[in-house]
Amino acid sequence: MHRFSQKILPYILLLPMGLLMVALVYYPIAVTFSYSLREMKLTRPNDTAFVGFENYVSVLKSQDFWYSLQNTLFLLAAVVILTTLCGFFVAMILSKEHRLAGLFLAIAILPWAMPPIVNGIIWRFIFFPGYGFINKLLLMLGLIDTPVDWLSNRWLLLSVVAVVTAWRSAPFCAIVCLAGLKSIPKELYEAAKIDGSGSFHSFRYITLPLVFPFIGIGTTSASITAINIFDEIVALSGFSDVGKNVLIQNYLTTFSFLDFGKGSALTYIIMGLTAVLGVFYLRSLNREVEF
Amino acid sequence: MKDRNDPQFHKRSKIGPGYVLASALFLTLTLGPFLWAFFISITPEYEMFTNTPNFLPKEPVLSNYTELLLGESQYSQRLFSGLFNSLKAVLVTLLCGIPIATITAYTLARLRFPGKAVFKYGLLITMVIPVFATIIPLFRIFSTHRLLDKTFWLSLVYVSSFLPMSTWLMSNYFATIPRELEEAARVDGCGTLGCFFRIILPNSYPILISAALIMFLSAWGQYQIPLILASSANTKPVSIVTSEFMTKDTIFYGITAAGGLIAILPPALAALFFRRYLVNGMMQGSTKG
Repeated sequence: MHRFSQKILPYILLLPMGLLMVALVYYPIAVTFSYSLREMKLTRPNDTAFVGFENYVSVLKSQDFWYSLQNTLFLLAAVVILTTLCGFFVAMILSKEHRLAGLFLAIAILPWAMPPIVNGIIWRFIFFPGYGFINKLLLMLGLIDTPVDWLSNRWLLLSVVAVVTAWRSAPFCAIVCLAGLKSIPKELYEAAKIDGSGSFHSFRYITLPLVFPFIGIGTTSASITAINIFDEIVALSGFSDVGKNVLIQNYLTTFSFLDFGKGSALTYIIMGLTAVLGVFYLRSLNREVEF
Repeated sequence: MKDRNDPQFHKRSKIGPGYVLASALFLTLTLGPFLWAFFISITPEYEMFTNTPNFLPKEPVLSNYTELLLGESQYSQRLFSGLFNSLKAVLVTLLCGIPIATITAYTLARLRFPGKAVFKYGLLITMVIPVFATIIPLFRIFSTHRLLDKTFWLSLVYVSSFLPMSTWLMSNYFATIPRELEEAARVDGCGTLGCFFRIILPNSYPILISAALIMFLSAWGQYQIPLILASSANTKPVSIVTSEFMTKDTIFYGITAAGGLIAILPPALAALFFRRYLVNGMMQGSTKG
């Protein structure tokens, strides 16, 4: 009897997690798939006929999908590049030990702790189309003659969204890179110095290769963040059509036009696209890990 | 006199003008947005966004803060109810989430049983599933069962989305606690649960704090999920309230900026005071140990 209870104990302990995940994650995901195969508009609640892959076809044929997919891909590239560069830059600053190091660390993680929507709101004041901070600055420096409309031109807006998102995701990358920098034995640098290696040489042949796997983790996490951008776009441009990415498109289809069938099909298409990244993410988390 | 052979000594002595410049750039870019929002919040509406060469307001005012914090205006009421709703959701999330994450992490890190890999990967894979995959049917299920606009159910959805990360954090940490400790306790007659409460829990408070902080920050920052599941006045969190100051109403930028700054005060304070735990949590979450 005792042996038996020892055997089922793990499953009992996992029960709360299992129930929660089945009820709020796995079951809904399955339901989303069944929605995606049906005609399902909340404006016509009684008509939920099975339509096969019609919703998928209609999503893939729509101009909006391809437009928003371009935006998502642009944001993905821009956010990943900016986050990695800034994150590594900040990590280099943080890796130096001095009296203010603790304060620097606290300041560095501040943006990461911000609610994304408030992040967008705060940056909107900076890129305000009229006389916001950036326009005032550029006017004062004589670089422009009239205020730039940052938030209604497609690529300008997307660039602003990328900057704002990178600002929020860089701290995580920085902390991860910092962990990498700190793991490098100091003797390596000293040995290189004795062998006559300059600081650039040490950076290129010791720091970069050894921190590289950590940068990889930061980059993967930045790409997950980039694909899931939602709040910043809403804060900077509302639900306007110009800067919408696939998630905004998904939200509009589902909850503004109340087309749950098409929205679900779009979700599954997005899931397929992110699955590729997901595998990378899990792999980067799972390096050398044994539960 | 410091030992010259100590690597710390050389490290400290190398702060040059390049480092100072880089630090100045880092501080400006990180703190600048907060400062600018603060300047906006103390600028009278008529001075805002006008073509003036000055960046600071000529006549700074605190009226936005007094109106939000002390006033009887609808802005003040909405902000406070938003703060209260966020706090409630955070508390329920922590009360449900931390125990479930702890017990799950312990089971996955320490016990051996058939099917463990399935549970482990089944949980981890959900980290990369887009929120819409679950929220679309949840919205319908919640609306048919009248669960929309209920803090408890909103918080459970939060828990389901934060659980993989916090379980991951904790089980990595639990795995570093020496097995000998547990084995010694077992010899002394401790059962599995006894070991958990007497050995594992007392030794892992740092990771519990990290996980709780990260859960608090994630729950406080939610916007998309409550927008769909809890957007009524009684449940909508402060993130939605602040964004509505900007989008729904005749826009008063000063109020929006002040409201935004008040809304980020709790996470900002947490980041300042508990930075060690947060940084440790971030590092644990990305790599093992």
